[in-house]
Amino acid sequence: MAERIGVYVCHCGGNISDVVDVKKVVEAVKDEPSVLIAKDFIFMCSDTGQNMIQDDIKNLHLDGVVVASCSPKLHETTFRNCVMRAGLNPYLYYHANIREDCSWAHSDNPELATIKAINHVKAAIAYVRNAKPLERIKVTTTLSVLVIGAGIAGMKAALSLSSMGISVYLVEKEPFVGGRVAQLGEIYSYGKSGVDIVRKLVDEIKRRDNIAVYTNAEVKELSGYIGNFEVKVDIKPRYFRGRCKDIDNIINRLQTDIPDEFNYELIGRTPVILPPYQDAYPGIPQLDIDNCDERCREIMGECDKIDLNMRNETVTLKVGAIVVATGFDPYQPRIGEYGYGEYQNVVTLPQLVRMVEINRSDKLIHNGKEIKNIVFIYCVGSRQMKTGKEKVNEYCSRYCCNATINASLSLLKRFPDLKLYHIFRDMRTYGKNEIYYEELGRKDAIFFRFSEDKPPIVSEKDGKLVVTVYDHIINESVDVLADLIVLVVGMIPRRNDNLNKILKLPLGKDGFYQEVHPKLRPVETSINGVLIAGTCQGPKDIIETFSSASAAAGKAAAIVGKGYIELEPFLAYVDPDRCDMCGICFDECKYGAIEIKEYEGKGKKAWVNKALCKGCGLCVSVCPSEAIQLSGLETKQLREMIKVMAG
Amino acid sequence: MTEILEYDVVVIGGGIAGMQSSLDLADMGFRILLVEKEASIGGHMFKLSKTFPTMDCASCISTPKMAAVSHHPNITVWTYSEVEEVVKNGEGDFRLKIIRKPRFVDESKCTGCEQCEDACPVIVPNEYNFGLIGRKAAYIPFETAVPKVAVIDMDNCILCGACERVCPANAINFFQEPEAVNVKAGAVILATGYKLFPAELKKEYHFGEYPNVITSMQAERLLSPTRPFNSLLRPRDGKEPMNIAYILCVGSRDRTIGNPLCSQICCMYSIKQAQLIMGTLPLADVTIYYMDIRAFGKGYEEFYQQTRAMGVNFVRGRVAKIEETENGDLVLHYTDVENGCIPKTQVHDLVVLSVGIWPNSDIAKIFSNEKLELDNYGWIKRVEEYESPNITSIPGVFTAGCVTGPKDIPDSIVDATSAAAECADYLSRFRRKLIEISKKEMR
Repeated sequence: MAERIGVYVCHCGGNISDVVDVKKVVEAVKDEPSVLIAKDFIFMCSDTGQNMIQDDIKNLHLDGVVVASCSPKLHETTFRNCVMRAGLNPYLYYHANIREDCSWAHSDNPELATIKAINHVKAAIAYVRNAKPLERIKVTTTLSVLVIGAGIAGMKAALSLSSMGISVYLVEKEPFVGGRVAQLGEIYSYGKSGVDIVRKLVDEIKRRDNIAVYTNAEVKELSGYIGNFEVKVDIKPRYFRGRCKDIDNIINRLQTDIPDEFNYELIGRTPVILPPYQDAYPGIPQLDIDNCDERCREIMGECDKIDLNMRNETVTLKVGAIVVATGFDPYQPRIGEYGYGEYQNVVTLPQLVRMVEINRSDKLIHNGKEIKNIVFIYCVGSRQMKTGKEKVNEYCSRYCCNATINASLSLLKRFPDLKLYHIFRDMRTYGKNEIYYEELGRKDAIFFRFSEDKPPIVSEKDGKLVVTVYDHIINESVDVLADLIVLVVGMIPRRNDNLNKILKLPLGKDGFYQEVHPKLRPVETSINGVLIAGTCQGPKDIIETFSSASAAAGKAAAIVGKGYIELEPFLAYVDPDRCDMCGICFDECKYGAIEIKEYEGKGKKAWVNKALCKGCGLCVSVCPSEAIQLSGLETKQLREMIKVMAG
Repeated sequence: MTEILEYDVVVIGGGIAGMQSSLDLADMGFRILLVEKEASIGGHMFKLSKTFPTMDCASCISTPKMAAVSHHPNITVWTYSEVEEVVKNGEGDFRLKIIRKPRFVDESKCTGCEQCEDACPVIVPNEYNFGLIGRKAAYIPFETAVPKVAVIDMDNCILCGACERVCPANAINFFQEPEAVNVKAGAVILATGYKLFPAELKKEYHFGEYPNVITSMQAERLLSPTRPFNSLLRPRDGKEPMNIAYILCVGSRDRTIGNPLCSQICCMYSIKQAQLIMGTLPLADVTIYYMDIRAFGKGYEEFYQQTRAMGVNFVRGRVAKIEETENGDLVLHYTDVENGCIPKTQVHDLVVLSVGIWPNSDIAKIFSNEKLELDNYGWIKRVEEYESPNITSIPGVFTAGCVTGPKDIPDSIVDATSAAAECADYLSRFRRKLIEISKKEMR
């Protein structure tokens, strides 16, 4: 029972005080039972505000504290730590949310917002008045991390963790590591290719003895909690045990018309998926069994390294944290979107990159014809305006302007006579990328700006592709003849419906994984112990992806590195005097946490196994005799709070 | 021989990036010395009003971090201190000479009661509010300063002794001298941030000459919850402006003033300020003159479209010059690129220059026996940009935040956490090596 409570009402620099009359709140609660002191301050979370609370705890011997400020998600931990430093148990504290719940929600009605805030604070006081000191639960952590996705983000995170002495399981869905960056050609601003970046990471990973790489592998099940997850990973068979001696002879006899995903279906491939670039890891082919018919299997029989009897394998991994690095997919234009799918020579930017990579001539050839001029149309699949109910991508994909400028400069280096036209909306070559935009501008490239209400139109006249664009400078429509039209497509989150179901990670409005807070916890998710790295969180360039991967690794290391973590003590417990062994709670608990125990002098009663309890409170709600209670949110506290709230 | 203090990492710069790196490393168990040259940690962020695109207040994010840094058992904070020299003796062995500047106030005695401030008769422009209001020569930098300790600005002090007479804690000490402290550290993180573009260099906009031409940082202060006045007022006559112009790319994308780079943050902070103005002065018109709107981050484009829908006027075109009328209004000469490229003029009653950010290149000079490489534009060079973006030309020296180029707050924070991870990686690798060596020596 707290009898000397301090109440602290925050202005949040106007976020609260512009709507809620904070002085009135202080006035209304200062004479509540057990309240010793009530104050307001512009930023309670600042050092000055926190010191004020700590001084009061020490000087006035407070035994309970209420802060009325923002959402507990933002600063509950801040203030729990604050009161703890002054020697008060952190659970003799309650965080009343008068910003999100009051001032923000009711900015149109300051008077009622103030009354609501007063009720919130009074309820918080009722909570603290009935609060008991609690101890945090210490659990040991597993010194290993699961990284999902072996693109550059996943590999970087794995390396970073490995260096810090943490074992890593790196799980990749595809047969080869490398992700999207392996598909890139020369990166002009880097002077090297995407494969070079991947190769460097792979070489380093091979040298580490604490990184296990699983390709063809997908997470199937997840259980446990922060510090101690158990993950089941399904590994699909590769059917090859190595590279057979006469592989070229075998491949030459196979069908070659399966669309090649690595080359964005520009060309065909055989059912044998060879490592798609030099030094690809692992260097063992993959048999595409779904596309391998009777005849194909017969031919494969000649290979000394093939094993068609390979089966799925499941491995169970124990890890302390999970880094999700599942990356992105390029936006797939609709049929007819700027002529895509209608005209052969309308391709996407990733396709152009592959086209250049597989082009062996000193001229750029597509569909047997030389390409002499290219029109780039920007913002395809990004910055879409919402018109109807249809879901559109309203976001900017961040990397595409820079990627196109880079690709153009690389193209001109190799094919100097190419004529390039850029039809863009805003050129977002932010930061140092501006230099390359400038450089391309000096190279005689032509830029047209379009606005969303007047998009360019693609048509065909006399067997030639034409892009009609409205030019603002001369106030006229202009026809640009194009040998090739390149749609600069944005990033969309990689489709991983199964994984999303398993991880239960929240998605943002844009479909990418949602971080807890872009500035406070940018690589953490609302699932404790699950971190996000790279483009699965939102569009990024390569450098930004590396930063985000290292950051996620750092956070994962902080979780598992100490060997233990402290969890909130909000678990169920049984009052044996009240329990009459009706058994309802046993059936209700999904985690099997309720057991029978012999209590001295009281006989056999229900008992909660704290290691299994998740604190969900279901047992509390079904117990007819209120014998089972949740620490930190007891029925009595709830009742008192409701009583005050109801006035 | 003076005593040498030992830390795992010295973090130079106590802005949001430096604080974040310090907290991350400290949470991993490393002992950190955070050195800040100003009288309080906090950097630029806590001076801001609200932050895009979530519109949460900058103070709600930065002031608790300042508190967390000052209370962390593994972090020592030295404010009003400057690193004068860094010598690298070998991997994992950096020797730093740090000057602790005299505050003329005993930090251990001062309680932050502000009585010296009341007593001091000298008034000078307040840097924290970019000269919009004044401060005393004996002062506490701002209300939520960490540490909340007074400092006497000796350049402006008239040695009247008024502060000394009123100080109840006897903390004033006019005889303090600069103190040089030797520190040994395993690694160094540079988080010294950026400089704001000095707007007076863009002569055709007459900043410093026409009072109603202000910078975006001044506008930020005028709109902040800790604002000096209770509204956005134009400096010349204290009137509430009704027709405000923002000029983007001032000091950016402009070779005439020597900076071809884009500053990466100005589009978004200007759009954010426009939204805030619509809240503070609902009847005012806001026009943003721009070249390209670079709303590229997560949720930024949506924020930009929302701002357009709120009625902010966006005009594509660079402003050529500004003229002042008799009543202090300003005539903007510009070319309307969207509508036939016609030269036009428009009158506004307040002009905000969205100034870009420039590198703090001086930091390279503190390294005496190794060369800290800069890029062509004076930012610290990322030597392994496409592998480990936080690594510099000196192994063991890492970068966090804007020292390597413009970054917004979310990017700076991610970069700072990344720097911490890279640094932890370096230290642990190095420690392992030490263990191997000692094992060999044992044999």
